[in-house]
Amino acid sequence: MDEAKRMVYPLDAKSYRLLYEIGSGVSAVVYKAVCLPLDSAVVAIKSIDLERSRANLDEVRREAKAMALLNHPNVLRAHCSFIVDSHLWVVMPFMAAGSLQSIVSSAFADGLPEQSIAPVLKEILHALSYLHGQGLIHRDIKAGNILVDSDGSIKLADFGVSASIYESPPSSSSSSSSSSCSSYPMYNLSSSSLSTFFNEMAGTPYWMAPEVIHSHVGYGIKADIWSFGITALELAHGRPPLSHLPLSKSLMMRITNRLRLEDAPDHTSSKKKFSKAFKDMVASCLSHDPSKRPSADKLLRHPFFRSCKSADYLVKNVLQAVPTVEERFKEGPVTVGLASPPNKTRRVSGWNFHEEGFELDPIYLGEECEDESTKGEEGDDDDDDQEEGKEEGEMLQALSTAAPNAASSTASVVKQVLVPNLVSLLGSLDLQRGMVMNLLARCVRCADGDEEMKVREQREQLLLQYVNSLQQTINDLNLHLQKEMKKNDHLEELLENIKMNSTSEED
Amino acid sequence: MKGLFKSKPRTPADVVRQTRDLLIYVDLQGSSRDAKREEKMIELSKNIRELKSILYGNSESEPVAEACAQLTQEFFRDNTLRLLIICLPKLNLETRKDATQVVANLQRQLVHSRLIASDYLEANKDLLDLLVSGYENMDIALHYGAMLRECIRHQSIARYVLESENMRKFFDYIELPNFDIASDASATFKELLTRHKSTVAEFLSKNYDWFFAEFNSRLLASSNYITKRQAIKLLGDMLLDRTNSAVMIRYVSSKDNLMMLMDLLRDKSKNIQIEAFHVFKLFAANRNKPPEIVTIFVANRNKLLRFLADFKTDKEDEQFEADKEQVMKEISAL
Repeated sequence: MDEAKRMVYPLDAKSYRLLYEIGSGVSAVVYKAVCLPLDSAVVAIKSIDLERSRANLDEVRREAKAMALLNHPNVLRAHCSFIVDSHLWVVMPFMAAGSLQSIVSSAFADGLPEQSIAPVLKEILHALSYLHGQGLIHRDIKAGNILVDSDGSIKLADFGVSASIYESPPSSSSSSSSSSCSSYPMYNLSSSSLSTFFNEMAGTPYWMAPEVIHSHVGYGIKADIWSFGITALELAHGRPPLSHLPLSKSLMMRITNRLRLEDAPDHTSSKKKFSKAFKDMVASCLSHDPSKRPSADKLLRHPFFRSCKSADYLVKNVLQAVPTVEERFKEGPVTVGLASPPNKTRRVSGWNFHEEGFELDPIYLGEECEDESTKGEEGDDDDDDQEEGKEEGEMLQALSTAAPNAASSTASVVKQVLVPNLVSLLGSLDLQRGMVMNLLARCVRCADGDEEMKVREQREQLLLQYVNSLQQTINDLNLHLQKEMKKNDHLEELLENIKMNSTSEED
Repeated sequence: MKGLFKSKPRTPADVVRQTRDLLIYVDLQGSSRDAKREEKMIELSKNIRELKSILYGNSESEPVAEACAQLTQEFFRDNTLRLLIICLPKLNLETRKDATQVVANLQRQLVHSRLIASDYLEANKDLLDLLVSGYENMDIALHYGAMLRECIRHQSIARYVLESENMRKFFDYIELPNFDIASDASATFKELLTRHKSTVAEFLSKNYDWFFAEFNSRLLASSNYITKRQAIKLLGDMLLDRTNSAVMIRYVSSKDNLMMLMDLLRDKSKNIQIEAFHVFKLFAANRNKPPEIVTIFVANRNKLLRFLADFKTDKEDEQFEADKEQVMKEISAL
């Protein structure tokens, strides 16, 4: 058993000598250090400033506990942890090559080649499979939390925001003021400056699954799969999708995200070739419906991972190209494209994974049309939009099947609950129609290239079809609404009758 | 005939019985490492995993109430819980975690609308002593600790632990150098002192002298930052709870306690200062301040007023400001 041969790391600061900083966050610093009594074994020590992590020590406790009880080759496990003044020192294995995020940003700005991505993702899936089997959700999968050792071995780190589906939720702490110490990444040098914004929610927004943002749906293991898919894109492109869009705090605070759109998204410039298997694998992770996302175990059986390279391949092809962790840190924290002044604010109502372009596209729920053309892919989204229409139809059905139950109790419930729902549905469809009309108008205005004529025409046709189908849906909904109203009237009549009957009986 | 029965799927009760048999075997065999024992250990792990998936469901299915009830009933019919707790150090890490989750879940299972786990524990209180002593063994501390916290959800069980000698041991456990274990112990300590209000009030009244003597000298005066910070927070939570008002009045009538709190107000940690203020304000707000308390306030009036005038929270906090103003008014009026 692993426990038997586990070395006992001393629990006092004097036994360690800190060498230098290799990472820092809002309320923590990570050092490379040696453990003197253990023949100067090299370790990493994360020093968490407890004085700066406000009210919530429970979270620190949960992270320490999670790290103490996990035991898997792809999961970073703490050797021990103890208090030094007002700091918590967490002694961990030293992962010499640092985080994948810092590797990518220092030597692979345009992303890693596919052959190097596959072995990394495979190891992470092993870690996820283990965690999920334990009923644990990591909730913050990203390149910054994937650590690499000099031998190419991979470990998933940072359990500051992980949640256990077996543990009863902490009584009231999570909503009020969660500590900032949990969201800083282990060796991640860049996104730490953002951490203060993320106090209210778990995870880091670019990697966050829609149902985590829409938290009323609740977390699931499948949220990790989404973040895993985003991480794949991050490794492929060198940055997470949409990271050229600055984040605003309201993204975190609200169910509908607000993103500011930068002038030159430079979205499709890096035309890289990715295999069909890779695209297919990522697409499945980024399915909007969490139940359609495959489990970590199932992903491990995906063809993409079939002829995967080994750790040695990573050492030769990736690690040799990058400077050491300490050199990288000395160069100073790098910032991802963030925080340029706000231009225009538009609502993003969701994300659509664009398999062809291997990108994640925002769906804008906008009323005004912008001058500069954003990008031309919107037209390709209509499959998804139609699906959304279908979903709404299904919702309606669910509503109408629920109606008889409601009706049997009181007819007024139907009127109060159902009718406003239908009306708002109708409203949202109208909005969508308006949106498509806008797009159409814009396409007509901005397209004058001859070669693109055909494409444009096709697109227009598709859009027209879509508008028609939306119109159809609206008509259907109208019919439904009328039917429901009639039913409602009828029920009210019945109710009246019953009332009359009962009063007459009383007489 | 036998073959026919073999193909039948095992009932939840069967899984419990088989687990129990395997635990008895493991318990008796000591720690020999022969092949047969290894095999039994693997089988035991599988059975405990199965108990867990019956209770929690798995990726394919949700838990079934009837199956859970059957399992619970069989589990507590005999001494399975005792065996499981005793054998836990012999299990591997993954099985220990499964076992902990099984025990945790069983505490909440109703059989004929009764929490039979509570009845069982009441008849086997020595198990709680065993779980508490787990904090002395690094390898099992977190597992026993998690089980213990689930067990003290039952009021009668929490009362037993509070009133037993175990309560004194927590003052040592909270200061253990290993952070995982110390923080688990303080979580349990806090749970014991806040969860069941009436029981806590009774405990604090009956054990006032020794408890607060220990609490002040061991925890509030600790050199360990986290011990001190958690203790002052817990003290505030306890004293501000209405059910503990008698204890609160007694606490804020003591000169020594006031001196202690004034020390904490000057702590170098802002968090500790703020938590200390929430207790300190009770001394000032007390309508019937004993003369010795008034004397201290008067003697330190200027210093205190100057300190409070500069005392601010990082974030704007209206309640804090209002409390502070009230305290300053009280002190000036003395």
